[in-house]
Amino acid sequence: MSAQRGGAAMSAQRSGAARSSLAAPSNPARPPKGSAGAYPWAMAGSIAVGVIGASLSLNGVLRGWAWLSPVAVTVVVVVLAMALLRTLRAPAALVPLGGFAALAFILCGTFLRKESIAGFIPGPASVKQAFVLFDRAGETVYAESAPVAPNTGIVLLSCLCLGLVVILIDSLAVPLALPATSGLGLLAVLVVPATIKPQGAGLAGFMVAAAGFILILGCAQRFAPDDRLQSGAGLGRGQFRRSVVLGGAALAVGLVLPLAVPGFDQGTFPVGSRLNPWGPSNGLNPMITLGNSLRTPTGDGRITYATSSSAPVYLRSVTIDRFDGESWAPDDRDSSRRLGTGQIVPSYRLPENLVRVQTVIDTGQFTSPYLPVPYSPAAVNGLNGRWSWDPLTLSIMGEDATSRNQHYTVISVFPQITAAALSQAGTTSPGSGELAGEFTEVPGNLPEIVRNTAGTLTAGIQNNFAKALAIQRYLRSAEFTYSLQAPVQGGYDGNGLSVLADFLQQKSGYCVHFASAMAVMARVSGIPSRIAVGYAPGHPTGNSIAVGGREPLTEFAVDARDAHAWPELYFEGLGWVPFEPTPSRGSVPDYAADAVTPGGSGSNLDEDAIPIPNQTAQPNSRALPGAPLPGTGTGAGTGIPHSLLILAGALFAVALLASPRLLRAGIRARRLRGFREAGQASAAVSPALAWEELQDLARDYGHIPRASQTPRHFAIGLRESLPSATADDAGMRAVRELTADFERHRYGRPADGTPGAGGQLTAERLAAVRTMLRSGGSWLVRLRADWFPPSLLSRWFRTVSAPFRWLGRGVARAGRWAWNVVRKAVRRLRRGN
Amino acid sequence: MEDAPAQAGSSNGHRHTAMPAAEFHAASEKILAAVSQVIDGKAEAAKLALTVLLAQGHLLVEDVPGVGKTMLAKTLARSIDCGVSRIQFTPDLLPSDVTGVSIYNQSSRQFEFRKGAVFANIVIGDEINRASAKTQSALLECMEEHQVTVDGQSYKLAEPFMVVATQNPIEMEGTYPLPEAQRDRFMARISMGYPDQASEIEMLETHQAVSPLAKVTPVVTAADVAAMITAVQQVYVSQAVKEYTVAIGHATRDSARLRLGASPRSLLQLLRAAKATAALDGRDFVLPDDVVAVAEPVLAHRIILERKAAGAGDTPQSVIRAILASLPVSKDAAADTRRA
Repeated sequence: MSAQRGGAAMSAQRSGAARSSLAAPSNPARPPKGSAGAYPWAMAGSIAVGVIGASLSLNGVLRGWAWLSPVAVTVVVVVLAMALLRTLRAPAALVPLGGFAALAFILCGTFLRKESIAGFIPGPASVKQAFVLFDRAGETVYAESAPVAPNTGIVLLSCLCLGLVVILIDSLAVPLALPATSGLGLLAVLVVPATIKPQGAGLAGFMVAAAGFILILGCAQRFAPDDRLQSGAGLGRGQFRRSVVLGGAALAVGLVLPLAVPGFDQGTFPVGSRLNPWGPSNGLNPMITLGNSLRTPTGDGRITYATSSSAPVYLRSVTIDRFDGESWAPDDRDSSRRLGTGQIVPSYRLPENLVRVQTVIDTGQFTSPYLPVPYSPAAVNGLNGRWSWDPLTLSIMGEDATSRNQHYTVISVFPQITAAALSQAGTTSPGSGELAGEFTEVPGNLPEIVRNTAGTLTAGIQNNFAKALAIQRYLRSAEFTYSLQAPVQGGYDGNGLSVLADFLQQKSGYCVHFASAMAVMARVSGIPSRIAVGYAPGHPTGNSIAVGGREPLTEFAVDARDAHAWPELYFEGLGWVPFEPTPSRGSVPDYAADAVTPGGSGSNLDEDAIPIPNQTAQPNSRALPGAPLPGTGTGAGTGIPHSLLILAGALFAVALLASPRLLRAGIRARRLRGFREAGQASAAVSPALAWEELQDLARDYGHIPRASQTPRHFAIGLRESLPSATADDAGMRAVRELTADFERHRYGRPADGTPGAGGQLTAERLAAVRTMLRSGGSWLVRLRADWFPPSLLSRWFRTVSAPFRWLGRGVARAGRWAWNVVRKAVRRLRRGN
Repeated sequence: MEDAPAQAGSSNGHRHTAMPAAEFHAASEKILAAVSQVIDGKAEAAKLALTVLLAQGHLLVEDVPGVGKTMLAKTLARSIDCGVSRIQFTPDLLPSDVTGVSIYNQSSRQFEFRKGAVFANIVIGDEINRASAKTQSALLECMEEHQVTVDGQSYKLAEPFMVVATQNPIEMEGTYPLPEAQRDRFMARISMGYPDQASEIEMLETHQAVSPLAKVTPVVTAADVAAMITAVQQVYVSQAVKEYTVAIGHATRDSARLRLGASPRSLLQLLRAAKATAALDGRDFVLPDDVVAVAEPVLAHRIILERKAAGAGDTPQSVIRAILASLPVSKDAAADTRRA
């Protein structure tokens, strides 16, 4: 072996001697050593930018911005703690632990100061309190829909999650040197708003997160600890061109693919059918979830009720009265809410002739912060927990309870409304004393079509009731069809202005669109309006319930499929009067059923029995293929077919199985990618990388290199462990050449630090070694090397087991110390005796 | 005891230019070939002796009588055209016999210095452990300082200068064992060991009639050797190899089986020997393999075993082998694999 190398080494030695006298030894591929000190801090800054940027997108999932400052403080404290530890050259395993400790301290200091030792050290009390807060957060998440109120529990949870994301990103980027995968952490943050918010993650948050990600990559590249990341070559022209081409291609694919794949944004992955990660949270608040509820084939959130009313009863949960131009939103007049549901008195005047109706309701698994009650409630009895009501809308909301498993009795007063009374009701001027102006507010950017339609419909009509009827009649006319699919396929499932305009053009939609169209047009026409969300009258279950010793009442049941939205218009002296513009749904009240409308169904509860052509849309919708599995909740992934799920699962399993192989191939490709230096024709592979690949290759086939082996010993050991291979073997020759290259690279003069053999040559050499190793191993060894390469698995194992090893060492040290103490004590005792 | 030839001091104070690699290789091959004419089957020992010569160290050859210790030293000396002197150490040998003495010259009426045996390029100290401690230390001072001081006057020794001392194992009768401090001055200690059967038969045949030593003619000059030494000095040592060398030193000091570990001087000599090994292998940079190759001969005679370890059958050689077998070659080897 040495004789073979002799000639080559000699010439190199000669040239090396000549070169060494000319130039100072320096390796251009390595970054200056002194700058490594800034690495932890630069990386910390980048991670902080990325995570805080990503968290910006949580606005909309969490209400307002109050949560941002604790989140930012947490993130900054954790990154700084880890950077500090890294600057102090703490062991690699200790840095994430330090991050965890810093996270615990800052969370205790911020949220659990009273329960913590010294105000920031977590103790049993703070853990207990933290769990209380987590429970509260869980309830909030479960009961409310986005945006949720940022209470202490929610903010604590957010800070904790983001702190953990910081530690994850840091661990990926620095000790594992996988900066690119640190994007997963940022993605994890962005996924939350993307799945929950109807409008997605939002551009600002995404941009800042992306900037942070690029900073992380840049830091890793700039301060790369060795030429593995080929920092010197990062500025090369070829590199730049390649990255521009790659980036452009990725962007183009990202933009074109959704257009090319059928059903990418329609049907299969509609914007509106976002996942509800919290299962059966049918809070009914946003109209978005309402669309999903309606498309559910199985009726979740079943509510049963029995009522003494002879007319069909709508169960009303919440009022949507805020129209901010973008979309309708529920009221949030928290300040004016009153506690106690024993007596509920609206702040507006009700007519004198009222009918009292008693309704017994069992909510079962239906979970919402709002209580479904027949309008208008006068008293609710039998509730668990504290409940409050809004005098303006009469929505009943739990202060510390949800509607889950409630069994209660509602006394409602039904005003005896007649068409005549409505016709006589005065025209209420917008903004009159009785009602705040908010019920007649119309955004300035109202699409023309809405205004025009309203104008056309109410032209020449003075009476408010007549106007309302005209609008209702128009919406219930044959022009409009009820469809759960149309809006979804149109790419909208919301209640914003643009959706409204689309709806009026396409004339197809469901209750949300009908209700919001009527409410907006009513406002345009000067009638105060709002939208009520709840349940249309359901179906009799066949059971009877005896209430308060009276004759048994028929029990009805409603579920998610009966979810409904309808407009309520205000008429002075009569209060809020419900209308029913949605064809084929619900029942048109007697007073509004004056006109001959195709969908008008009087007070028939069984709407399915009514022969309306439009009806066909509904059974279809119920038999939608690919709704989520039963019990996964109304909002969960509606519209994703089973087969797709199975396919995705299978793909995932295959990817999981193939991941070691793919990653191994990726590592090999990265090592062999090489780098171009100025004036060099072909990409050269650093001998160190080629050597690493050789060692990993050997490891894959069961020849494990030992740390105490010199490169040469390793090569000799490899030959000895392969009895079939001769010294003249192509594989053995390749091993010798790779070894010689690496020795020269690692131990030779820096000026001699040749950039290494070309990528092609190195790949050929490694292929020869691989062929040799394959021929020397059994089929089992070959299978393992292909699919579960030990080089990769051992690396994973080392990474995972690092904390345990560290712990083990600590325990061993403590044990030795204790043993010494005991031994000394025994000696002292003996001497004393 | 032979007297030193006059040409010894010819290269004093003069820096040689390094010998080019090709010539270096040829010269070393010639020397080794010459030595192997005489010493059969001991190529390793011969190479190590040459290594020590090129690394400017001194060699201690320790073994039982009659295995060719002196023959090795003589052959090496004979194959180089340089001054050679041989001192047979006996209990009555005086320090002045080694270093030289000032004698009053009647005719010039002045004291003039009569050079001792140490004034030669290669000094063969035969059975060094038979001399008294005083005489031993006189030689050892010359080895360290490369000069002799008599009556306040310093005399430079020849370059290259190498002492090849032989000694019988200390268990033999009538020996004064070298103290640790003095053993430390020798760069390496080798044992000849018995030749294998074939070599021994061949030796019996060839050495019957004439002394094979007579056949050995000088193949290189002293100036050549000096140029070779300069070339060795220019061999590059990377940071990684330095770290590895230091790690070996630390491991011997931390070893529970050793009472005395390797001194900093021994690490310096280890690295020098490694440089010479690298040059002999045709490289201009040191590999960890070079360090490993010379670690045993360079370190074994300097370290002292714990009593328990000696009782358990350990030898200095076995301890060093164990250390080398467990010591990671590169400090960041683990980190390297983790990062990738």
